Amino acid sequence: MADELLSVEDLHVEFERGDSKVYAVNGASFSVGPGETLGIVGESGSGKSVSVLSVMGLLRGSGQVTGGTAMFMGKDLLKLRRRQLEDIRGRDIGMIFQDPMSSLNPTMRIGDQIMEGMLSHQYTSRKGAFNRTLQLLDEVGIPEGKARFRSYPHEFSGGMRQRVMIAMAVACEPQLLIADEPTTALDVTVQTQILVLLRQLQLKGRMGIILITHDFGVATNVCDRIIVMYAGKVMESAPLVDFLARPAHPYTVGLKGSVIEVGTKAHQLRAIPGMATALTEPPRACPFAERCQLAADRCLEELPPLRPLGLGHYVACHRAEEVLAAAGTTVGAQVGGPVGGQVGGQVGGQVAQGVTARA
Amino acid sequence: MGLVKFLSKRLVAIAITISAVLAVGYVLIYISPGTFYSSTNMGQGLSQLQVSDPTLYNQYINSLNSRYGLNHPLIVQVVDYVWHSLSFNFGTSFENPSVPIIHQLASALPISALLAGGAVTLAVVLGVPLGVLAALKRNTLVDSALTTVSMVGQAVPSYVLAVLLVLLFGVWFPGIFPVNGWGTIGEAVLPIVALAAGNVAIVTRYTRGSMVEALRQDYVRTAEAKGVARRRVVLRHALRNSLVALVTVVGPTFAFTVISTLWVEQIFSIPGMGSLLSQAFQDKDVPMSITSVYILSLLVMGMNLVVDMLYRFLDPRVKLE
Amino acid sequence: MAVVSATVGPGVRVPRRHAQWWLAWRRYKRNKLAVAGAACVAVYLVLGLIGPWVAPQNYAQANFLYANHPPSLRFPFGTDGLGHDMLSQVLWSMRNAIEITFGASLLSFAIGVTLGLWGGLRGGVADMVIMRLVDFMFAIPQFFLSLFLVVAMGRTVWPILLAIGIPGWAQYARLVRGLVLGMRNGEMVEAARAFGASRAHIARRYLLPNVSNSMLVQIAFGIPVDLTVMAGLSVVGLGLRPPLPSFGNMIAQAGANVLGYPWLMYFPAAIFAVILLSFLFVADGLQEALNPRAEDGGRRARRFGFGARGRLF
Repeated sequence: MADELLSVEDLHVEFERGDSKVYAVNGASFSVGPGETLGIVGESGSGKSVSVLSVMGLLRGSGQVTGGTAMFMGKDLLKLRRRQLEDIRGRDIGMIFQDPMSSLNPTMRIGDQIMEGMLSHQYTSRKGAFNRTLQLLDEVGIPEGKARFRSYPHEFSGGMRQRVMIAMAVACEPQLLIADEPTTALDVTVQTQILVLLRQLQLKGRMGIILITHDFGVATNVCDRIIVMYAGKVMESAPLVDFLARPAHPYTVGLKGSVIEVGTKAHQLRAIPGMATALTEPPRACPFAERCQLAADRCLEELPPLRPLGLGHYVACHRAEEVLAAAGTTVGAQVGGPVGGQVGGQVGGQVAQGVTARA
Repeated sequence: MGLVKFLSKRLVAIAITISAVLAVGYVLIYISPGTFYSSTNMGQGLSQLQVSDPTLYNQYINSLNSRYGLNHPLIVQVVDYVWHSLSFNFGTSFENPSVPIIHQLASALPISALLAGGAVTLAVVLGVPLGVLAALKRNTLVDSALTTVSMVGQAVPSYVLAVLLVLLFGVWFPGIFPVNGWGTIGEAVLPIVALAAGNVAIVTRYTRGSMVEALRQDYVRTAEAKGVARRRVVLRHALRNSLVALVTVVGPTFAFTVISTLWVEQIFSIPGMGSLLSQAFQDKDVPMSITSVYILSLLVMGMNLVVDMLYRFLDPRVKLE
Repeated sequence: MAVVSATVGPGVRVPRRHAQWWLAWRRYKRNKLAVAGAACVAVYLVLGLIGPWVAPQNYAQANFLYANHPPSLRFPFGTDGLGHDMLSQVLWSMRNAIEITFGASLLSFAIGVTLGLWGGLRGGVADMVIMRLVDFMFAIPQFFLSLFLVVAMGRTVWPILLAIGIPGWAQYARLVRGLVLGMRNGEMVEAARAFGASRAHIARRYLLPNVSNSMLVQIAFGIPVDLTVMAGLSVVGLGLRPPLPSFGNMIAQAGANVLGYPWLMYFPAAIFAVILLSFLFVADGLQEALNPRAEDGGRRARRFGFGARGRLF
């Protein structure tokens, strides 16, 4: 799509572990446009972080991209040299990471850390960078920027540190911001502040945002579009409205059933049985089949393609239509294990009508 | 200011530790077999005197006893001795009574300090870049070669290496470096190399380890995500932080280097603290042996104090206390 | 990996108690240098044990007719200025080195573990005093204390053993105390206590196995250090009094005569270096095998101040 900022197609990433290989990302595709917020949701190990890190050339250890494209401003990020990528990182694409404790350099003043990106990209002069840093500190809600400029990260609280991270990420006014679990390590009240801050910054610059999270509530709160990843594959991709109203993948339904909200009783929750395991060979059948209560013979034999289900709604499930049809009847019970009864109607502050199938 | 308080606290601790060293040394020598004055030359002279003129001998022993305080109880002797040493009042040695100990130290200490300082400097100048190189080339041939060589360097003691160097430049390739004595710059080369090898190995190994660890840290990824150039990521972010861990290693290295200096000086016949100390202990020269240990311990503790301050300077999370 | 159901081969189930040793051995075997080191150490121990019987001559037997003889069939390692057969000197030296270094390491270990356990479990004043003593021992080179002890006790085997062993206790004490404190408050022990396990049971089942691994590694690193110190005493003229043979004496002697009689250095120094290196490889392999998480040494280095190598004199 021409109007997309970043468009990732058929991404494959493998890790080497001893003699064997781990297939972390197996043909993931997603895209994000200017001013849009894309949420990538999945359990840990689902390949959501790995796919974004590999696009940015930030994979660690033995991780290797083995296929796919990632078009950004007419260039394939996966084919760029290190130097060219360095130019794009921080200037055109900013990044925020999960743990603000460990993501800031403990031996560097926070002001210097914010300035560093701007100076690396010759975004502005030293003086300009200093002034912009003060302005950024103000924008992200850190008062007394002048005094705070000379502080070290350990003198800040977790929420403040994450604000510093955000200031760093948006210093060069990037067109795209990637936030990898930006609120996971924070207190719930601080989480909301950070999300609101991200939203404000986005509105200012028509910045595209990719928000990676395992927290369903967070994703439904701020995203325009959500993709659900499992075993390195996109299971479902839908605009927020469809996602809330017409989830078509059993895994999505299951994920929603396991969201804990205020007032939810334990018997109302449905855990997805089993746990995600690392793939030591490329998936040949539906990777979710062994945990799926709707799994049929076909699911165990044939890899479901990601296929359109509605306008902008894609799903990778052989039995998506049945899931949809069953919505509002008994799917929840079938998918989520024990019959639960009412699931709390509120998901992440949005009214979730018929989100989870009701018994 | 915190620095003054920190320094005064540390200086008091050093004074207490050094007093304990002096006291332990004194008592151990005091209870050792033979008389207090049984050092090599002095002991011989005294026993001859005892045979030829017992009266004079007794007078002389009495004067010695009052001079060295041996007519007092042991505890008083110890306190006296510690006090004199702390005020740098060392007196003269048994074996070389014509030259005050302080003069002998003045000529020997700079030599040893030069050797040790040279070795530590060389270790940092060579070891840090090699360690960084090994970390960046992790699990390659370069890395395993460096790691193995540094393991060998760590295992082989300086005196073995010193003898090997003498063999190398004395027998196989004579004439390049002098292998014996002291006085010219060239004569410092081989001793410093022998001393530095082990340190280079240690610093390389620990730099590698802490760099590997640092390169894995999230803040390094943050710097990369900001688009900071690779070189700066390695130097400003990874190395800067691994220096903090490295400094804790350099401290113990000083003690190791000072001891190695004693050994290497023996092999190369260098008139530094090593020859003073080993001669004094062999001769059972009480004042000289205790004083040389005292001075070298001060040196070690002084360097450790400097390292501690450096550590607190390098890591803003640590407050001077 | 969970140790609980460690199977070593198809069908071979190892009793749980020994499972961790099996796993450790398997990890150890993968490290070729460590295996080679262990072989060398084994040869060294055997030679040290039987050395005095297979040596061509007694260490003290001098033969002035053959002084400073280069290596030959009759004297494979040559002879020194007094006509001592260097091969015999090396074999006897191994015996002395083994006795002194193993003895000294065990002595340091015994003192250190006793004081460390006492301080760690007891706490209070005892702990404070012990830790002050440990600080003291770490503040100055332990070699100096060895020198004073040698002067006080003499220069035969036992005094040298004591002079090296006594000052070495502090690192063991610190390590044991740290492990005990860490584990006394650790989750594992807390869980065991919650299940109603007795104090003795906790000590036996949780503290000791964990402590013993670290201790084994520490001793393995300690022995070559003690060997270095032992020879170092000779280099400054305060080791075993000649004619008692020791590597240090041979090396010091070689240092003085290497220009004229280089073979005095070849064999003793090379063998000495190989022994030290072998011990280091073994210790390194043990560390990797017993504490597999501390791969790069980085984490341990920070935790214990100076890595598992701990003391450097």
